[in-house]
Amino acid sequence: MRKLSIVALGAAAAVALAGCAAEAPEAETGAEIRVWLVGTDTPQEARDYLVETFEAENPGNTLVIEEQAWGGLVDKLTTSLSGSDSPDVVEVGNTQAAAFTSAGAFLDLTADYEALGGDDLLPGFVEAGSYDGAFYAAPYYSGARVVFYDTAMYDDLGLSVPTTLEEFVANGQAIAEANDGVSGIYFPGQDWYNALPYIWENGGEIATFENGEWVPGFSSPESIAGLEMVQEVMTTASVAPKDGNEAEAQVPYCNGEIGQLSAPSWFKWSILAPEDAEAPGCPDKEATLGVFALPGLDGGPAQVFAGGSNIAVSANSAHPELAKSALAILLSEEYQSILGGAGLVPALVSLGDTIGTDATAQAISAAASNAKLTPASPAWAEVEAAGVLQDFFVQIAQGGDVAQLAADVDARIADILN
Amino acid sequence: MALASTAVGTRRRRRGALAPAMLLVPTGVVLLAIIGWPLIQLIIISFQEYGRAQVFGRPPEWVGLQNYIDVLGDPFFWDVLGRSVLFAAANVVLTMVIGTLVALLMMRLHRFFRLLVSVGLLLAWAMPALTAVVVWGWMFDTQYGVINYVLSLLPGVDLIGHSWLIEPLSFFAVATIIITWQSVPFVAFTVYAGLTQVPDEVLEAAQLDGAGAVSRFRLIVFPYLKSIFLVVTILQVIWDLRVFTQIYALQGIGGIREQTSTIGVYIFQTSLGTGDFGAGGAIAVILVIVMMTISLYYVKKSIQEETL
Repeated sequence: MRKLSIVALGAAAAVALAGCAAEAPEAETGAEIRVWLVGTDTPQEARDYLVETFEAENPGNTLVIEEQAWGGLVDKLTTSLSGSDSPDVVEVGNTQAAAFTSAGAFLDLTADYEALGGDDLLPGFVEAGSYDGAFYAAPYYSGARVVFYDTAMYDDLGLSVPTTLEEFVANGQAIAEANDGVSGIYFPGQDWYNALPYIWENGGEIATFENGEWVPGFSSPESIAGLEMVQEVMTTASVAPKDGNEAEAQVPYCNGEIGQLSAPSWFKWSILAPEDAEAPGCPDKEATLGVFALPGLDGGPAQVFAGGSNIAVSANSAHPELAKSALAILLSEEYQSILGGAGLVPALVSLGDTIGTDATAQAISAAASNAKLTPASPAWAEVEAAGVLQDFFVQIAQGGDVAQLAADVDARIADILN
Repeated sequence: MALASTAVGTRRRRRGALAPAMLLVPTGVVLLAIIGWPLIQLIIISFQEYGRAQVFGRPPEWVGLQNYIDVLGDPFFWDVLGRSVLFAAANVVLTMVIGTLVALLMMRLHRFFRLLVSVGLLLAWAMPALTAVVVWGWMFDTQYGVINYVLSLLPGVDLIGHSWLIEPLSFFAVATIIITWQSVPFVAFTVYAGLTQVPDEVLEAAQLDGAGAVSRFRLIVFPYLKSIFLVVTILQVIWDLRVFTQIYALQGIGGIREQTSTIGVYIFQTSLGTGDFGAGGAIAVILVIVMMTISLYYVKKSIQEETL
C-alpha cells in the first residue's frame, strides 16, 4: 500500500508536469503552407494573389506568408530549415543560395525545372540556385541598383545627368560642397553593395577562381584604384554615418539631406510611401525624384551588383507537393507580372517588358544589362554573414590606409572561401 | 523556519523518505534533458568537423582535438577573450558599486521616494534587452540622436554627425551604459533586501562608539551581506562574460564587428555566421570551463569560510 502510494505520487507529479507541456489536440483542417518572403520588396498585391490563388487551387489548405528580415537571414535559415518546424517555401538572397543548395537544405527541383519555366528562367539565377548538376532554388526576381537623385538640387547648381562615373562623383562633391549637411552621394560605411561598381569599373575583382582555389582581389592595383575612389566619395561627398547601414535611407532623403543615392529599384516605393505608412516616405517629393543608371568609367552603364532572390522548397517541408504548387504560383506569369509592375525584374526573361517604359524602367533595364554577381562559392554567404565587407568599408570610410586594409580583408576572405 | 522543517522531517522520515525524492524525479529528468543533453551535444560537436552540411544531415567527421588546436592557436580568439574579460570586469565593478549605492540610498529614502526609485528600477529591469539596445541606439544615433543634439547645445561642442560606435572604446562605453543600466536593479534590490536584515542595534552601537559611515559599512554591513555580495557578483560575472544580445544588436547599428566582438557574439559568428559549428562548439566549451572555474573558486571559498 505504502509503495503503491509512492509510485502514485511520482506518477502524479510526472502527469502534472507533462500536463504543462501537453499541446492542445490537433484539429485537422488541412495543411498550412508557410512561405517566407524576405523584406518588404514583394508588393502587397502579389502577396494577396499568392494566398488567394493557392487556397483556390488547393481547397481545404491554407497558405501564410511570414515576412523575414534580410539582416541575419543566413543564421535564421540555417536553424529553421534544419528543424522539424521548417517553413515550406523560402526566399533567399541570390548570393546566399549556394550555402544552402550545397548543404542539402532544399528539395531537388530538377524534375520540375521545365514546368517552372525552363530556359525562360533568368540564367544567372538558375546557376546560383543549382549545385552539382541539380536544380534546387528557382529565380524569384532580380533587382538592379539605380541612382535616385534630387532634380531640384541638380537645377540649383546647373548640373546635368552624368555620363561617366567620374562625372557622377564630381556632381556629388559639388552638391555636398554647396549644401551644408547634405550628402552629394549618400554612402554609409556598411553599404558594401554600392562600393562594388567602383572596384569592378576599375578592373578589380572581389575574388577569382584560379587553379582550384579562390584568390581574393581587393589588393590588386585595379581594386586599390577603385577603393581609393570609394574612400574619396565617402569622405568628400557623403555625410552619412561612417558606420551606418543603408537601411531606412528614405528618412534622410525625405529630410532633404541626400542629393544622389544608389539603391535597389524598389527603393522608389520607400521614398514615395504615404506619410501615414508604417515606414513613412514623402510622396510630395515625387516631382523632384530623378533616376538614372549608374554610369561606368568609360560611359555606358556601370557594372553594378546584381541583387535579387532565389526561392526554394525546404527539404524538411512536411507537405512538399503543396509547397511545390505554391512555388508554381510564385513563378507563374500572372504573379511575376505583378512583380514586374512594381519595378522588379521578373524571374521569367519573356516578361522583361512588364517593368514598363518610364524613366525608372529604362534605368533598371540599363543597369541590369551590365550587372554582376559576387563570387560563386558556397562559402560566399559566410563572408556576408560574418560582416567582413561591412567592417572593411566602415574602416575605409573612417579614412583608414586602403592598401593595408585591402591586404587584411583579402586574408580573411581567402581564409573563409578556401 | 529552518528548525520547523527539520522537526517535520525527522518525524516523517520513517514513513516516507522516498516521497520527496519521487517528487523530484520528473523535474530532475526534465532538467537533465534540457540542460544536460545540449551540453553533451555541444561537447560532441566540438570534437567534430561540423558545418552547415552536417546541420542538414550529412554525417560529421571526428577530428579529435583539431578544433581546440585551431581555436587556441588563433590570436583573434585571445583578443576576443581578453576583451570580454576586461569588459565583464568593468561592468561587474560598475554594476556592483552603483547597485550597492542605490540600495543604500533606498534605505535612507522616505516611503514615497523609495517606491518611486523601486518602480524606476523595475521598469529598467523589465525592459527586454533588445528593446533597450534599440532605444539607446536611437539616443546615440549618429544623424538624429538626442545625445548628439543635446551635447551640441553646449557652447563650443559640435557633435552633430559624431559616431559613438565607430571607435571600439566608445562602442564599449555605450554598451557598458546599456548593460549596467539594466543590471543595476537586480543588484540594488538584492542588496537592499540584505540591508534590511542588518540589525539596527549593532549599527547604532557602532555609531555611538564613533564609527563613521564608511567604517560602519566596511566592518558591519559588508560582513553581514558577504554571502549576498558573493552570489550576486558571481551571477554578474557569468552574465557579463557571456553577454550577447546587447553587443550583437549594437553591432548591427554601428561599429566594426571585428574590433567589438565579445566571446558570446564570437561563438555565434563562428557557428552560425561562418557555419563552423565545430570551432564554435570548441569556443563554447572553453567558455564553460572558464566560467565553471570562476564559480567553483568562489563557491569553494565560501564553503571554506562557512565551515571555519
